[in-house]
This record gives sequence, C-alpha cells and structure tokens, in this order.
Amino acid sequence: MALKKLDVRGMKCPIPIVKAKKEIDTMSPGDQLEVTATDPGSIPDFQGWAKTAKHAALKEQRTGKDETGREVYIHLLERTS
Amino acid sequence: MTDTSKDHTQPDVPAVDVGELLPRLDRGEKVLLLDVRNDEEFADWKIEARAPVETVHVPYFDFIEDTEGSIGRVPRDREVVVLCAQGGSSEMVAGMLTEAGIPSQNVKGGMIAYGVYLQPVRVPLAAAEAERFEIWQVNRRGKACLAYVVLSGGEAAVVDPSRHVEWYEGFVAERGARVVQVLDTHVHADHVSGGPALARRLGVPYFVAAGEGFELRQPVTPLADGAKLRLGGEKGVDLEVRIIATPGHTPGSTSFLVDGRYLLTGDTLFVASVGRPDLGGHVVEWGRALFHTLHTRLAALSDGTVILPAHYGGIQEIAENGVVWGRLGDLRKGVPELQIRTPEVFTEAVRGAVKDPPKAYAEIIKYNLGAQTASEEKISEWELGKNQCAAAAKKSAAG
Repeated sequence: MALKKLDVRGMKCPIPIVKAKKEIDTMSPGDQLEVTATDPGSIPDFQGWAKTAKHAALKEQRTGKDETGREVYIHLLERTS
Repeated sequence: MTDTSKDHTQPDVPAVDVGELLPRLDRGEKVLLLDVRNDEEFADWKIEARAPVETVHVPYFDFIEDTEGSIGRVPRDREVVVLCAQGGSSEMVAGMLTEAGIPSQNVKGGMIAYGVYLQPVRVPLAAAEAERFEIWQVNRRGKACLAYVVLSGGEAAVVDPSRHVEWYEGFVAERGARVVQVLDTHVHADHVSGGPALARRLGVPYFVAAGEGFELRQPVTPLADGAKLRLGGEKGVDLEVRIIATPGHTPGSTSFLVDGRYLLTGDTLFVASVGRPDLGGHVVEWGRALFHTLHTRLAALSDGTVILPAHYGGIQEIAENGVVWGRLGDLRKGVPELQIRTPEVFTEAVRGAVKDPPKAYAEIIKYNLGAQTASEEKISEWELGKNQCAAAAKKSAAG
C-alpha cells in the first residue's frame, strides 16, 4: 500500500480539495494520501468532503509546523474503494 | 483569489461586489444566494439584509465530489449569486453552474469582503440643523458595527472608525472637509480600531479613555467629562460636541453629544438593549457603573435626544431610512434593561443574558490598547463573524 504526499501549502479553497480528489481518483483502494495545507479552513472542509466522498475516508488530522515555522494542517486520507 | 484557482478549466463568471449585492438584497430583489461554505462557517455567520435572503446551502466540496448531483440541488427559477469564505470556491461553483446552463455570479471576496464592507448612511436632521452640520452613520454590515463622521463647516470628527483608514480619509475628502479629531467611544473588544492609525496619518488628536485598570499605550489627547469640542468654527458654524463619561460597558466608555441632541453612545446604550459589562471580569462592578450611567448620568437628557449607537443586535434595528437610531424617550420605555429600577436586579439580569464573548476579544483589546501589533491576516481572522456586544441581542430572523 502506497503513501503519497500532496503539498498544498499557500493554496486557498477550493484548490486543496480539488487536488486531493484528483489524486485519490488515480490511487488504488488502501492507498493513502497525506495532504499538507496552510489554510486553517481545510480542517472542517476535509471533514465535510470526507462525509460524502465515495472513494475517500479521512483517517487523521493533525497540526504541526513546517521547516519555515509556518503552521500546517495535515490531513491523512485513504482511498476506500 | 490566487493564480492557482485557475487550476481547472472553467468559464469566466461575472463578479458582483458586496456593495452592489447588499442594496439589491435589502430591496428584496429575487436573487438566490447559494452559500458554498462548510456547515460550520454557514451556521456561524451569514449575510443579512433588510428583506429576507433566500439562501441555499451546498458546500463547495459537494460540487467537487458530485458535480451533477449538486447542480441538481440548485433551483433554476431565478438569478444565482454564489458566496463562499474568500471568493475562490464560489468562483469555481459559479463556473460549474454557468457551464450547466444556470447563469451565475460570484460574490467577489466572499465573506471576507462582506466583513469589511462599509455603507455610509446620512442621518436625517431637522432643516435648521442640516444647514449647519451633517452626521453620517457608517454601517459595517458584516459586523453590525457603526462608526460616525460628523461634518460641520469643512471640519470633521470621526468616531469609532474601523481599521479601513483610507476609506474614512477618502470619504471626508470627498465632502470637501478635513478630519480635525478622531475619537473612540471605548476600547473596542470586537474589532480593531482604526482611530490611532487615522489620527497618526493625519496628524490630528486622538481620544479614547481606557479607564482604571488598563494601561493605554496609544498616544491620546485626554478629554475630561463635560469638555466641549468645536467643529466648523473657522467658517462660523461652531458645532458643539460634548464629552460625557458613561462608564459601564468599559470603565472608560464615553459618549459624545452632538449639538445637544444627537448622542453617540458607543456600546453604552443600543436601540434595543444595553452594552454588556462582563468583558473585563468585573461584571458586578461594571454592571453597577452601567446602571448609574443609564439612570443618573443620562437622566438630564431630554426624551427627544437621538441615540446613535456603535452596534445593532439584529437587522430589524435598522430603520426604514437605513439608519440605526432611536429617540431616548422611546428607549426609556422600550429597552427591557432600562425598566429595571435597582442596580442589583439590573446586574443580575445583564449577567444572566450575556452570550459568549466576542471571538479573540482579549487579543483585540490588547491591540486596541496599543500593547501589541498584528498582521492583516491575523486581524482578519480575529474579526470574522458578527459582534457580540449587546447584553441581550435578540436573534435575527433574517439570513
């Protein structure tokens, strides 16, 4: 099972979810996608999207700092079917 | 909007400014507002207008996940205006709808733009007064904050300006006047004051009273209770603005009486409620001070005094002419808190009625005292949402 990373730092909605959906669509069931965003709105947005997403589940969300000290929001998604 | 919003191909959609949209919604035009924010943001803060706003809520990520199904949830019988937090997601959705044959417009800048939009409304004065001065109520609709520009004989006093200082400068200049004094009714807790910055830019005096227990680090030209400012003297108009200390909402709260008849009350007295005295952790002490202010300090003012507050609790408080105002005599009869005759009962009542404090109020107070600075982004985050400054604002029916 592969883990792919997606960097959407500095990008505002709708881009993080547009890109995440595009990636998920190319992945196989069980594969995971780790999205790193800087928009705090991405937390509720990924939760909201995961509720209706046909092929993605939200496994984990956490916050951290990137190498420049910027606050980042990390979303771990899994391709479900 | 960032360049990356062009990541996916979509038709260009027409954009509408908040300043064009709001008057149309106020008039009750048949517009469907499609709000594409997430559930949380939608529940917290909505566009309000004087006529009911017909709103459909479908989050933008639903459009990404299931474009066709989501488009099917949008009624097709009227013009669609799409709204989101910052204008990017709504632009995408408006593009999808347009492509599907539903002509749509995008609200430029989204709720961020709504939160900073300023709508100036001229306060109607008696004919003899209007020859001598003008009062403009500047309504920051997204936050239900009211600022004032008092103009007389080419001179202006600006009261409770938001941080959009260029707007105020431009507004006064367009009226052929110059700002001679900037005033804050109190150290605001719900929004960042533009007062110090505006005064500094123009080299004019700035007044605010923080009151006991607060260290004010802004340069302030103090004005004592009972002091009188004069506007328009050079042109022989000589308009008087009297300083009245009205502690309670904060210990330093001050009201400004223009020409003996128009009282700019700040957060002391609203048209349907009174200010909340609990934001400093001394609700009993400040509550007693507010009671004393309302019943003793303002007792000498006639019933005909016109109250012009710094906030409104709901869109229904905007009168037919667009102004938020009230006759003191009507407020004395109608505001529930003013019916209470003992300070103990009053303090208990306002304590019991308070809601959550304004978001980030401690940070905002620190900023307004001059004790810290912040980036535009941070301030924007602090100021999101409507104010919560009244002791018992009724929930608005609109939205």
